[in-house]
Amino acid sequence: MELNPIKDAFDSVIKKQTLSSSKIEDTIEQITQEIQQTLSGIQSAINVPSSQPKLILGELKTKLKEIAPLNHLEATQKELNIAMSKYTKLLEKQFYPDISKSYRNVDFDTHIINQIIASHLYRESMFEIGDCFINEAHEEETIVDKKTQFLEMYEILESMKSHDLTPALKWATTNHDKLQKTGSDIELQLHRLQFLEILQNGSRDEALKYGRTHFAPFATQHFHEIQKLMACLLWVGKIDSSPYSDLVSPTHWAKLADELAQQFCNLLGESYESPLKVTVAAGVQGLPTLLKLMNVMTGKKQEWQSMKQLPVPVDLGTEFQFHSIFVCPVSREQAGEDNPPMMMSCGHVLCRQSITKLSKNNSTRPFKCPYCPAEVEVAQCKQLYF
Amino acid sequence: MESNTNGNSAVSNATISSATATSLPSVQGAVPSSKLTQLTESLKLEHQFLRVPFEHYKKTIRANHRAVEKEVSAVMSTLSDSGDLSQDDAVKHLNSLVSRLQGLKRKLEDGSRAEHLQAQRCKARLDHLESAGADNISEWNNTRLKRILVDYMLRMSYYTTATQLAESSHIQDLVDIEIFYEAKRVMDALRNKEVAPALAWCADNKSRLKKSKSKFEFQLRLQEFIELVRNEKNLQAVTYSRKHLSPWAASYMKEFQKVFATLAFTCNTGCETYKVLFDAKQWDFLMEQFKQEFCRLYGMTLEPLLNIYLQAGLSALKTPFCYEDDCPKEDPLSQESFRKLAMPLPYSKQHHSKLVCYITKELMDTENPPLVLPNGYVYSTKALEEMARNNNGTITCPRTRDVFSYSQVTKAFIS
Repeated sequence: MELNPIKDAFDSVIKKQTLSSSKIEDTIEQITQEIQQTLSGIQSAINVPSSQPKLILGELKTKLKEIAPLNHLEATQKELNIAMSKYTKLLEKQFYPDISKSYRNVDFDTHIINQIIASHLYRESMFEIGDCFINEAHEEETIVDKKTQFLEMYEILESMKSHDLTPALKWATTNHDKLQKTGSDIELQLHRLQFLEILQNGSRDEALKYGRTHFAPFATQHFHEIQKLMACLLWVGKIDSSPYSDLVSPTHWAKLADELAQQFCNLLGESYESPLKVTVAAGVQGLPTLLKLMNVMTGKKQEWQSMKQLPVPVDLGTEFQFHSIFVCPVSREQAGEDNPPMMMSCGHVLCRQSITKLSKNNSTRPFKCPYCPAEVEVAQCKQLYF
Repeated sequence: MESNTNGNSAVSNATISSATATSLPSVQGAVPSSKLTQLTESLKLEHQFLRVPFEHYKKTIRANHRAVEKEVSAVMSTLSDSGDLSQDDAVKHLNSLVSRLQGLKRKLEDGSRAEHLQAQRCKARLDHLESAGADNISEWNNTRLKRILVDYMLRMSYYTTATQLAESSHIQDLVDIEIFYEAKRVMDALRNKEVAPALAWCADNKSRLKKSKSKFEFQLRLQEFIELVRNEKNLQAVTYSRKHLSPWAASYMKEFQKVFATLAFTCNTGCETYKVLFDAKQWDFLMEQFKQEFCRLYGMTLEPLLNIYLQAGLSALKTPFCYEDDCPKEDPLSQESFRKLAMPLPYSKQHHSKLVCYITKELMDTENPPLVLPNGYVYSTKALEEMARNNNGTITCPRTRDVFSYSQVTKAFIS
């Protein structure tokens, strides 16, 4: 986005403002001086009995009227006002001036939103702020469970930052069965890191002992991995220059911490990314399209408020693609349970309704695939599940 | 020959991509242009972010200027009023004017300090927008979310949390806490059934409220009138209305008459039309009204930014599949709270198929085309190839547990 014109417009406001300020200062200074001059005039004439303060004051009055301080200020103020309104107009032109244009006036439950915010704050490790929020918003502490869970996760991650795996291993051992079920090998990965940590600190015996007790349960499934690790024992103290140097690269710590956070959330039944963050990010991407839509829908505000489906596609990045959406290339309709995607014998896929139409509702009559020369039959079409 | 044409097309591809890179000079080349347009579009949503501090700045400038005008013209007029004075009195008089001007000067110094701070804030916001680029986008987005949250908290009057969040993230310059504190004073007073601060606020912003044809002040006055009637100070109520309500009568005759009728009905009335006027809910209504006027004056959206973004996001994400039991956890709409919020919103629409592999959650496109098992279930090539590699060429459908050989899979063509 080209911000330079906006910056220039703002700079010109600042310039005009400085000008106006200094002019005001000058004017006040000028008036003060005139008054002071008159003052000293009167005072010096204090012993002259014939002096007439009224005359002197009258002179001052005419002088000040000549200066016409207020008219003076008006001009600069006007210029400043012009610069300011220029800037405001530019902002309105360059940005979407009202992003609430596509807002639907529906009841957005504050209580639900507050709960979502509170759990977002906790899962982003802003525990104190989360507590403060719950307190201030008078939300019941139904999400306290969530807080303790995430507190545990951040304690584990914090310890990992200082190369202490004890809490992580404790968690992995407690959740051994669950982790196995999801097919995660994070427990072994943690043991591996611990093993290498012991080895790097130089104690071969201790490492060997550690390996024996902790690798054994994984032997059947991760045989190669463990072999490699045991071979490291030969290189105690100089793993850096061994063929296994990549095993001790410090990036493993950060990677494993990420993986642990993912597995931790997974076991909690939570997503890895904060759902609030994901939704707002999707909103940021989608909103421009909706606002443009509103521009063409002017006058159909009522229609918009009751629409069941958006009239235009809102393109989000692939990171927001959580479901397979099949759109029939013939009818342009989204597939659903009552109109599932069907693959014809040539491999092209259409929706069932389109196939019924193409075959003229005759299941034995062959018809031509709209995308290739193949002749296909309804009976040979296969329903797909994405 | 063939290799030659390939080479040519590679070159022309390269020139095309370099051309797009140069046409967007502000950001580094390697980023896909769609990401860049997305970034630009998202920055365009930040009108309020620049507008609000500027309105604040403007307000301070105007207030300072008004002070100057007032003082200077006062000095001028007292000078013209001074008639026949003795020498001593003239000296005294002039001295008082000088000290008055000096007072004004001091006041202006404070004023210009405030102006300067607010100008800095406007500048900081411009710089923050400019700093958004491909290399810091995730951090920038995190800050944006925090800004949105602070905005929400301020509008909901959760001032302590808002301040804490802003301070802990060092984004005080990027949020409008000070401005909302101005609203807090009025809101607190209205909560205590006091209108004075709200009226003072109206007086402060008189010209702008008039421009937007606001009747907020009228509503405040009506409430004051009602309170007088409630306390059976009828005579006072009449004098009050003569002074404060009559100027509005021309534009809002009906309401004016209705409220005036309460003099006859008193606060114990059973008549519905007049009973509501004595209801404590009227104060909530005034608070709501004030919030709207306040937001409008500063160029803010009437709804919290969070609600706007959440609605847009939920509409864009909402599909019929979100409400099924096997909705993946990563979809925010797998959560009950998000589903409830999305209930009254429209479903998203797609013009083109977008298929996600059930196993790898990756997009199935020409790079990673979808393959069909004999049972009709579809998975990505990558997922099935890996499964076959690890299991000696057999594939187990993760959803039906059917076992097939990799040779049985067929390609599906999705257009």
